Amino acid sequence: RRRPSNPNVLVAKEPKKDTKKEPKHANLFFGHLYNQPRLHSVVGASKDVHPAVLALGLQYSSYIICGSTARMVSMLVAFKAVIEDYQTPVGTSLARHLTSHHLSPQIDYLRSCRPLSIGMGNAIRWLKDVIIKIDPSTPESEAKRELITDIDNFIRDRVIAADQLISDYAAKKIEPGDVILTYASSSIVESTLLRAHLDGISFSVIVVDSKPLFEGKRLARNLSQHGIKVRCFSYSGAAHAVKDASKVFLGAHAMMSNGRLYSRVGTASIANLANSNSIPVIVLCESVKFTERVALDSIVGNEVAPAEEILSERERQALLPLKVNGEEEAVTTTNDVWKRVEEAK
Amino acid sequence: MAEGTAIATPGLSSFLKSLKTTPVEPSVAYLISLLKRRQIRNSRQCAVATTALLLRVVGEFKGKDSAKLVERIRQVGRRLTSAQPREVVVGNIVRRVLGLVREVVEDHLDAETNATSDIGHNSQPHNDSLSRPTLSSTISTFSPLKHATAEPLDASTHQSETMSDSGELPKRPGLLTSHTSYVPSSSAPLVNSLFGLFSHPDTPSTSNTPTGHQSPDNKGMLTSLNLERLADFSNSKFDVKAEVMDGIRELQDELDQSDDLIAANALDHIHSNEIILTHTASTGVQKFLLTAARKRKFTVVHVETFPHDHTGTHSVLLTGKNRDHSGDSEEDSFKPLRAAGIQVVMIPDSHVFAIMSQVNKVILATHTVLANGGLVAASGARMIAAAAKAHQTPVVVVSGVYKLSPVYPFDIDELIEYGDPGSVVPYEDGGFVDLVDVENPLYDYVPADLVDLYITNLGGHAPSYLYRIVADHYRTEDINL
Repeated sequence: RRRPSNPNVLVAKEPKKDTKKEPKHANLFFGHLYNQPRLHSVVGASKDVHPAVLALGLQYSSYIICGSTARMVSMLVAFKAVIEDYQTPVGTSLARHLTSHHLSPQIDYLRSCRPLSIGMGNAIRWLKDVIIKIDPSTPESEAKRELITDIDNFIRDRVIAADQLISDYAAKKIEPGDVILTYASSSIVESTLLRAHLDGISFSVIVVDSKPLFEGKRLARNLSQHGIKVRCFSYSGAAHAVKDASKVFLGAHAMMSNGRLYSRVGTASIANLANSNSIPVIVLCESVKFTERVALDSIVGNEVAPAEEILSERERQALLPLKVNGEEEAVTTTNDVWKRVEEAK
Repeated sequence: MAEGTAIATPGLSSFLKSLKTTPVEPSVAYLISLLKRRQIRNSRQCAVATTALLLRVVGEFKGKDSAKLVERIRQVGRRLTSAQPREVVVGNIVRRVLGLVREVVEDHLDAETNATSDIGHNSQPHNDSLSRPTLSSTISTFSPLKHATAEPLDASTHQSETMSDSGELPKRPGLLTSHTSYVPSSSAPLVNSLFGLFSHPDTPSTSNTPTGHQSPDNKGMLTSLNLERLADFSNSKFDVKAEVMDGIRELQDELDQSDDLIAANALDHIHSNEIILTHTASTGVQKFLLTAARKRKFTVVHVETFPHDHTGTHSVLLTGKNRDHSGDSEEDSFKPLRAAGIQVVMIPDSHVFAIMSQVNKVILATHTVLANGGLVAASGARMIAAAAKAHQTPVVVVSGVYKLSPVYPFDIDELIEYGDPGSVVPYEDGGFVDLVDVENPLYDYVPADLVDLYITNLGGHAPSYLYRIVADHYRTEDINL
């Protein structure tokens, strides 16, 4: 998990003007999901947005911070800085003013960089709840201090401790000689695998990776540096990878209240293949990612990214004529819904 | 090998060009090296190269002994298949040609021992009941032999033609009728010997199992009777070579036309406003979709098959031409689907499941179709088929009959080729490549139960029917090359 680093790690701002043309997408499947163009720069951000949040937004939109847990934690950490620098204007109280006037521009900005994850939504809802409950008579500095400890506790309880618990529990599911398959990269799967490795269980890992982010590569590198035997497959080789595996571990973006897993696009196919090979699929998910929303498939609600993102720089050049004609389009979605979940925590 | 250095980009076209000038042996060696270096790859090119080479092999063959011809073809075939065992199509073509030789000889023997007019009678109904008259009629008029020679030859060209063109009417029923009708008039041992004529004692296991083609007692009389027959044969004026070469040319015609014949089925399967999902840069599938696009408006979702075929996919979508196979030029280029007014959406492999709920039909291209109804296709096909199964979306496989192999997949891993891992993780990433095993399977095996329909140049078939087409196209004696 990456924390928001100091602002000088700011991504080089690419002058990208063409994002404005985005709504032209009369997209076949996900047309209803293209509601607003993605923001890739600080241009046009409201002046109320805190510098830490500005930096964070850029890190979101350039996928430097990705993965729903990492995004949620980094958002809370940024909000700590926001709260620290906050001063209640005269005539209002912190409980009334902070949420609606100061926090919401930050959230709007983050949302325009990349749609909020379910976990982030849950955390924001919790934070607003905490703020609203602050007694208006509390002095401002004390209230801010309280809020910051609350946020720290939230991260500790709901993420760090939960991860610890889950990885303790899930590591027990790994038996000597197992071949664990995982898709792309999930922080909790990674810590579980490392945990099991430290416990002295000998097992090997298959990482299935996919375009365009190649998150699995990072995971594979980390694991192999710890001495775990890792094999790496591209997504099209997934059928072969699943055939060799004995268990599948998946991370989650969210768990729907109808029992379905909402996770990185491509997860469903992996789970489906595992299911047809009768391999157990184990999903690791913190309860902060549970949502009361429901979904039957990936079309209902999803996050769409600009189509160019699935192409590498060279491919973008090659496929340029397609964009000119406008008849050709590529679809990127970030998440996938799969209907059967064997285990969740 | 010598030729390889002389020509700038070795490939199918350079091989076909050199075939005209080089003698047979170096050509065989050249094709072997091309196959080994993957300079000729993908089923179609392999099939074209193999037929062209076998045409030469038969053409150069000296002598009239058909048993030796069979042995010669078989020997070349063995060398080719061992050069690149995973290009199953090479073996298919060799088997088809072997079957052709056997058939020509058998028909001739039939004709020799029986009244010629009878044969003419017998084969006539076959012609009438051919279900696909378009191709067969052109080919039979094509053959110069038909008009130039006596009736028995006519019958045999016709026979080979049914073999190569129409699966519905196999030559085996023909054989059986001749069997039953002629047994009373001629001697039973003779008929038996005809059936066992070319069965090779070194491949006993396959030859006597499935079809009941051979009676168990024919092994005994094989030696004496056969030799006598063959001796007779080499004395006669009957030209096996010309017949077989004609047959091979028909096979070439079949290869040329198979995509178009498959495409002729397109309108039956693609309806207006459907959403069709396909993958890889297959010319067969593109032609299929284009044919439908002339009459109907639909949407194509194209999976890009990263990392080994995405450049091909991109260029097929853009220009209608597969950049990866630049070897074969003019005839393989066609209008891209977009130019035909079809909306094309390209998706990465990972998005298949998400979009499958909206898809009406999945059309898969294939590398090889196996006798049990399963297929070997570009990797990712298994995942697509499984996703389609989960959504109850029909999966249609488009394939020429030449890709249909008599091989049963007892060991699936044997059929899977692994490609350059550098395309999954580039070699620049040294630390990574050192630590992690990177694998890049090029093919997937898709079991028969994930496929709903096969469309070949003979029409549509259920996967469970394919064994029958295999039986019609290959002789049991040839299954083990």
